Amino acid sequence: MSAPQTPAGAGAGAGTGPGATAPNTTLSPEEAKWRDELPGYTRGKPIYFENEVIDHLLGIVLELGAELWTIRDRQAFTEELLREHGIDLGERLQQGRPSDALQASLKAEREAMIKRLYGRLYSRYGGDKADLKAAM
Amino acid sequence: MSNLEQAVYPRGKIAGPFPALTSRPDEAYIDFIADARNFLLHAQQYPIADYSRKLLGEAGIGMSPDRENTRRAIDVLMQDPAVKTYYRVKRSLQEAFWNRVLESYGANRAKILEAFDAADQMGPGSVSYDAKKPLPDYARVEIHLQPGGYCFEPLAGMLYDYGLKVFMGGAADHDFVAKMGVRAAALPADGKVQRILDLGCSAGATTTALKAAHPQAEVHGIDLSAPMVRYAHLRALQQNSDVHFHQMNAAELAFPDGHFDMVLAMLLFHETPVPVARRVLQEAFRVLRPGGTLTVLDFSGDRKRDVYVMLFAELDGVDNGEPFIPPFVRSNIEDVIQEVGFELKSYDPSKALTAGRIAVKP
Repeated sequence: MSAPQTPAGAGAGAGTGPGATAPNTTLSPEEAKWRDELPGYTRGKPIYFENEVIDHLLGIVLELGAELWTIRDRQAFTEELLREHGIDLGERLQQGRPSDALQASLKAEREAMIKRLYGRLYSRYGGDKADLKAAM
Repeated sequence: MSNLEQAVYPRGKIAGPFPALTSRPDEAYIDFIADARNFLLHAQQYPIADYSRKLLGEAGIGMSPDRENTRRAIDVLMQDPAVKTYYRVKRSLQEAFWNRVLESYGANRAKILEAFDAADQMGPGSVSYDAKKPLPDYARVEIHLQPGGYCFEPLAGMLYDYGLKVFMGGAADHDFVAKMGVRAAALPADGKVQRILDLGCSAGATTTALKAAHPQAEVHGIDLSAPMVRYAHLRALQQNSDVHFHQMNAAELAFPDGHFDMVLAMLLFHETPVPVARRVLQEAFRVLRPGGTLTVLDFSGDRKRDVYVMLFAELDGVDNGEPFIPPFVRSNIEDVIQEVGFELKSYDPSKALTAGRIAVKP
């Protein structure tokens, strides 16, 4: 392939791209033509690999790293705060179980994380925005 | 802590002027993105350049940065898995960054917008804007992939400011880059500085740095974006800086002829269509007094570039929402500066971003 391509039907990214509306312009028709032909003027969703699944997998790997680090930061911060208060929760964290309320909250977070991480695999046909409740 | 500070800076500031994100998990996530950028993008700059030039040499691509050669070079490099991975990672990190920063500040959106309303009425300094003002269509471009671009997201100023902090790998911390730009801004030969104009002032870091360097002068910052100048004013209030922000098109300045002694344009023109850039320079010429100075800090033109540096700019147009960079580079704006009437006093392409193009109105 040559320059990164926008897959057919992907449209203008978040829908706020320059082609979304036709506001007034200070450009002449010739200038507007020049502008419209600039690569990248419309945001789009460029695909870099012949198999776009590779693009998605790289995005997922990066997202996982950020999520993992966020949890690591939180855990280290929690342990520091607990130590400051003389509390050692090691055994309880290993053997105990969160409350029903926290488990429900964690489930919602988990579902959102799965959608954020893996939804892009189905973005070509809009499956990344699929709603489980609507399907059941 | 005032209501305004509680709304915009509920977790304080970091690295000088930047509003901290609204939660520690957000901060940890962005810390990861920033460090990932530093290693996966910035640290790769020279290794990937060497690798790319080797691939181009093996493919028999010449080093001339002309359009046809650059197109052929992109075709060659985009066959290589490692190069493709670099550009994929660049794009993904940028998108992940914006998603999280927008979500973080957005959690406090209503309070922040109330704080902007309150700050609009406060001094020192002032801000003027018309949120319903029609904008040129190129203002819709999402430069750096920033959601909503600079003009169509009410939090654009805050987003841009935090973006600059991360994208510059720390060089924007404590307004270091802005202060560097102000040190480069040329004084008129007679040393008289009553009024200064900061073109395309964005979040106002250079505008307040100009005031700090020239406390006796009246300093104005203009930007096409209302959200940008509103945040810039609030940011200036935090520094007790008496500067004046206006939402204004740099190609249609609402100032009298000969009004300013100095005009500074820092990192404006590479985000401006070339035909508009010419009109901006004509307006800068008009509002400067004879002997007044224009300082343009921006990327170099294509005369000292090889094909790799040129294609890097071309791909930034696609990958980073910077469609105006390649035509800007090819315009060699120092030529346009002279064509509209300025005398070009100094320009070293190797110091285009730090020393700039210095011009004087005869």
